[in-house]
Amino acid sequence: MPAALSVCGVLVASARAETLATVTSLFSPDRLRARGSLSLTIQFADPQGGVPAPVRRSILRFPAGLTLEVPRLSSCSASRLSALGAGGCPADSALGHGHALVEAQVGSQKISEDVSLWVFLGPLQNLQPTVEVLGRGYTPFDERVVLSGTMLPAGGPYGEALALSIPPIPTLTLEPDASIVTFSLVIGAHVDGRAHDANTVRLPSSCPQGGFPFAGEFTYADGSSGSALTTAACPL
Amino acid sequence: MLVLTSVVYACLGGGGVAVGWPPQTFTLQAGFAPDALGVPTNLFTTMTFASGAGAGAGVPEPVRDLIAYAPAGLAVDVQGISTCERTQLEADGPSGCSPESRVGFGGGVGVLELEGSLVKESYTLDFFLAPAEHGHLAMLIYVDASNPVAVELVLSAREIRGRRPYGLGFQVEAPAVSTVPGAASASVESAYVSLGGANVAYYKTIRGRRKLVHVKGLVAPTNCPSGGFPFETTVTFEDGTTSTARYASPCPHGRQ
Repeated sequence: MPAALSVCGVLVASARAETLATVTSLFSPDRLRARGSLSLTIQFADPQGGVPAPVRRSILRFPAGLTLEVPRLSSCSASRLSALGAGGCPADSALGHGHALVEAQVGSQKISEDVSLWVFLGPLQNLQPTVEVLGRGYTPFDERVVLSGTMLPAGGPYGEALALSIPPIPTLTLEPDASIVTFSLVIGAHVDGRAHDANTVRLPSSCPQGGFPFAGEFTYADGSSGSALTTAACPL
Repeated sequence: MLVLTSVVYACLGGGGVAVGWPPQTFTLQAGFAPDALGVPTNLFTTMTFASGAGAGAGVPEPVRDLIAYAPAGLAVDVQGISTCERTQLEADGPSGCSPESRVGFGGGVGVLELEGSLVKESYTLDFFLAPAEHGHLAMLIYVDASNPVAVELVLSAREIRGRRPYGLGFQVEAPAVSTVPGAASASVESAYVSLGGANVAYYKTIRGRRKLVHVKGLVAPTNCPSGGFPFETTVTFEDGTTSTARYASPCPHGRQ
């Protein structure tokens, strides 16, 4: 096949635009003081339609008064999770689950992979609670990564923050690392008669005007950073 | 990392002619990831072309033909990999080929003449397994560049066998790529290629059940010769000259 040629009018490449991040949240059940689960979804997008920059660190801030209830304290280390997978951790240390979509520009193509996520309570570090997130994708690359996070106090209107480090997600030698496009977690479990000792999220006893505030700060591999705010509407 | 500069062989037809410019050269680097013996692996290689010193000073001579050899003992296991027909790739681009026919990626920087000026342009490479030709492996290479000049090109790579210490090799012929009538052909400043992978997998339905199948692809040699894994690439340029570069990738953790 002969080479197909066409000439574009613009020779100057534009500078890369900043990655856009959005955060959405949902409580279930959505009732003050209720025990249940929190669904949190973060989406990253490249305004130019390409693959967003890989995120390397995130700080997620949660509403004041929101607590994590862990009836039976148990933890799982990052090394154990990395070596043995989710099945190698005590069931009581499981905090939640989720899924992610990662993408990479490899060759001329944008390649994506679905990743399953499991969240565990990690061992205390400097007396601070930690969280370990296992990501496992199978195709086209069979890979396993562990994201480590630390719970920290946050200033009002927030209560606590989760500082999460995201390691590089390799694809192939000489090709760029993959980027997270969607990261969705469900923390806590729906409480029914059989699971009263499950790890759960407890909603605050009151809701601030405007709803429960959430915030995210993100640092990307290209050195840029960004933030996103959202609120969960107060229960009716 | 050790880089061996190219060894240039005599290739100026007619012999005995005094030539004013030094011949075109390039450097080669290559290796396996993971760097271990006898395991599914990714073969990566980079080439950097020096600027020519002749009439087109500052621009590498365009490449017309490339022959690359990998170390003896490198095995190919294409079980689980499908193939793509050239007509599919030409008609629809990479999306016309099954994802299971992908065997590698790559890219680099090209140099071309546009309105009297030299312009550098990034390009990408997509490698697909093609149906075997007379019992020899074959690959299709999709070359894609978009800005400032759009280039879509399908190249064929056919398997050849090298003499020891080499084994698996591929030959690729490249046509002349000119931007506008009368302009010099586009040339290559750098190229990188990444073939195979240690952890490539896909789902296959077997007797109604979905099963994860790991693709072996390239399997690293089970032993490493003294001096490391040898790689060799010979390039024939548009002016008829030929240059060969060799590279020895250190053995994994000193294992030989």
